[in-house]
Amino acid sequence: MPGPGLSRSRPIVTSLVVLLAASGCSVAGADPVGGGPGTLRIVLPEEPPTLDPCDASLTATGRVTRANITEALTEREPSTGDLEPALATKWTRTSATSWNFTLRRGVTFHDGSPFTAAAAAFSVERATDSAIDCNVDGYIFADSELTATPVDDTTLRVTTSKPDPILPLRLSFVEIVPVGTDPDSRVREPVGTGPYRIDEWNQGRYLRLKRFPGYWGKTPDFSAATYVWRAEGSVRAAMVTNNEADVAIGLAPEDGAGDRAVEFATNEVSYLRIDATKPPLDDIRVRRAVNYAIDREGLTTAVFAGRPSGQLVSRGVTGYNPRIAPWPYDPERARRLVAEARADGVRTDTTLTIIGRNGIYPKAAEAMEVVQDGLLKAGLKARIKMLDVNAWLEYLLRPFPTGDTGPTLLQAQHGNQAGDAAFTLGQIYGSQGAQSSYGTAELDARIDRAQLASGATRQRAFADAFAYQNDEVVRDAVMANMTGLLALSPKVRYKPDSATNDEMRLADMRRAD
Amino acid sequence: MLTLLRHRAVSSVIPLLVVVLGVFFLARLTGDPANLYLPLSATPEMRAEFAARNGLDEPLITQFGDYLAQVAHLDFGESLRTAQPAGEAVLRAFPATLQLAGWTMLLAILGAVVIGSLAAYRPNSATDRIASFLSSTAASVPDFWIAIMGVLVFAVTLGWLPTSGTSGAAAWVLPVATLLIRPFGVLVHVVRGAMVSALSAPYVKVARGKGASEPRVVFGHALRNAAAPALTVAGDLAVGLVNGAVVVETIFGWPGIGKLMIDSVLQRDFAVLQAAVLLTALAIFALNILVDLLHALLDPRVRQRAAA
Repeated sequence: MPGPGLSRSRPIVTSLVVLLAASGCSVAGADPVGGGPGTLRIVLPEEPPTLDPCDASLTATGRVTRANITEALTEREPSTGDLEPALATKWTRTSATSWNFTLRRGVTFHDGSPFTAAAAAFSVERATDSAIDCNVDGYIFADSELTATPVDDTTLRVTTSKPDPILPLRLSFVEIVPVGTDPDSRVREPVGTGPYRIDEWNQGRYLRLKRFPGYWGKTPDFSAATYVWRAEGSVRAAMVTNNEADVAIGLAPEDGAGDRAVEFATNEVSYLRIDATKPPLDDIRVRRAVNYAIDREGLTTAVFAGRPSGQLVSRGVTGYNPRIAPWPYDPERARRLVAEARADGVRTDTTLTIIGRNGIYPKAAEAMEVVQDGLLKAGLKARIKMLDVNAWLEYLLRPFPTGDTGPTLLQAQHGNQAGDAAFTLGQIYGSQGAQSSYGTAELDARIDRAQLASGATRQRAFADAFAYQNDEVVRDAVMANMTGLLALSPKVRYKPDSATNDEMRLADMRRAD
Repeated sequence: MLTLLRHRAVSSVIPLLVVVLGVFFLARLTGDPANLYLPLSATPEMRAEFAARNGLDEPLITQFGDYLAQVAHLDFGESLRTAQPAGEAVLRAFPATLQLAGWTMLLAILGAVVIGSLAAYRPNSATDRIASFLSSTAASVPDFWIAIMGVLVFAVTLGWLPTSGTSGAAAWVLPVATLLIRPFGVLVHVVRGAMVSALSAPYVKVARGKGASEPRVVFGHALRNAAAPALTVAGDLAVGLVNGAVVVETIFGWPGIGKLMIDSVLQRDFAVLQAAVLLTALAIFALNILVDLLHALLDPRVRQRAAA
């Protein structure tokens, strides 16, 4: 005979089952997997935290919004570095601090309102002057002040407080929204002029875009796009091989995308920042020795994907210096330089701390072991300390941790997404740069000169600053220009480029059939 | 019964406060969120402005006081990452985790009762040894490994199940199976142990002597007495599940509280982290009370003690 306890607990169990079964349905059926042949299914490493167009310089936001939902006045061609027309058809510099932009006619926003100079002016002001703290403001415009005024319906004038020769490039980061957009708070579902508009954003699950029939440009192949996000790289790769997704990004070679994988050059460059303020790294011979001691070919064939590089920007960025070659691997020369410094009384037996960051790129720790091995062979002492991103950022950014950390080599990576060395040199090599541990007055002067120059002079001046850094300052050991990996289903034709990590144009993805 | 409930609710307040306090201060020890939210080239002025806008420039103790006052009004602050109310994000994520944990525990308990009882029925038989070996293994394999292997075998190689996501019944199989393995392994051990001693107890002999059928003896008489210890362990395991969902939710893209917590730790999204921990702690206390109540229902001695 069942006891009173059991007979009373039975209804509890039964009702629990019913409750679970009923609630199960609310999660089940939530993903729009499938969606027919006209839908492109994309799997991202993370959900965009916001879709506000003024945050499009955040990678996770930009790769969904930029050039898909919203567009800018200008756009940079990643392979050549040239600035191309987008919502502006041409632009002219009318004085040292003033520019006029001629806007494209016949463009409408997703809400049906026309694109005018007033909308363009509003968007520029919203992104740069409003209290909503747009990411693009700090990232692209820093402390520069600008004013945008409509001259007539199709002419926009933008003036800056200081001469800014790359203003049209900076404006390629300002996504254009209609005048009615909330200037005081972030928008969740932005209205733009792009080829796709937001269909549905089911937070935490998926985001669906639909082709905008009133688009001014060429009609893209896919009528809809669905984004989902999975943190694990092997799962993203498996979704493509399992026909659950058509495009998976942010993969590592070991994620197993197999013959679905497509490799492409990114604008990310990996390097070690040398703290040149502490002995023995304050001696340039030791810093050169560190550079000769690293086997870059070995790293890029056996450890991570990429090709050896000698400077922090990649080809296509204004200021890239084609004459700077990667430092050769020369352990013998490294040993001689260290011995020479030691003979002059430099304390080369001080232990160097390599501060690494877990997951900064695939096999981050293994890469640092290769570096450590090279340093030991050169006669230096080195230990590795791998940190997580938050702790590592304390070392990357000023003010640096006080306390005795000793001489350090910091594992870092830099991607110049904007296409101009102004976004690299000042903050990384300027003696007061946010990420800079050491600089010289001469290098500062060269950077300042370059920042005010334009055209061919600008290219030469930046290239010269990179060469000077490489020859006379040797503040870091640049290792490699990194390679990205994505997976494509047989349904899609797409040629990724160096901007793909930050900007994935759905219109460039074509149906293979 | 009501006394028991009241007593447990009151004694939960202090640990709950400790959890709130701990999360608040520990989160802030991890560093400055401005490093993550502002561009790397941000000026000191931009950093100061960011801190002021988010109330991070106040002394920690003032921040904590403000936070408690907010929470008292059921205001959990705003997410740094999405600029949306933290409470909403947490309430949106919680049901997904509860459903996952609920199904997992239900299946783990049912499976463990059947396998554990079978193993206990003839101790040291082949069935018992196989069950013991498998359950020990199950209790000790890492979730992460199981999840990835599950994807590789059942989704990629065999193509039976989707790799991840939440659409359709098939999407539940891998996450539930991954979460299930450890509690199942532990529970089989507990049920087996309790059943072995229950089956050798005098009242079982009496029941058999009276001619009760074997299933009736095992599942009717012995199981009821073995249920109490199993229930206590199951309660602890369920608590672990709510937190253990972190790995599973991250891998399978399950939009639950575990994934929300790990994201908010990585993003230093203090408000969301605090709200998520607070709600999880509340759920755990509620679960513990529920286990106690069930325990009292099953065991008259507990009931009497509570009433006294």
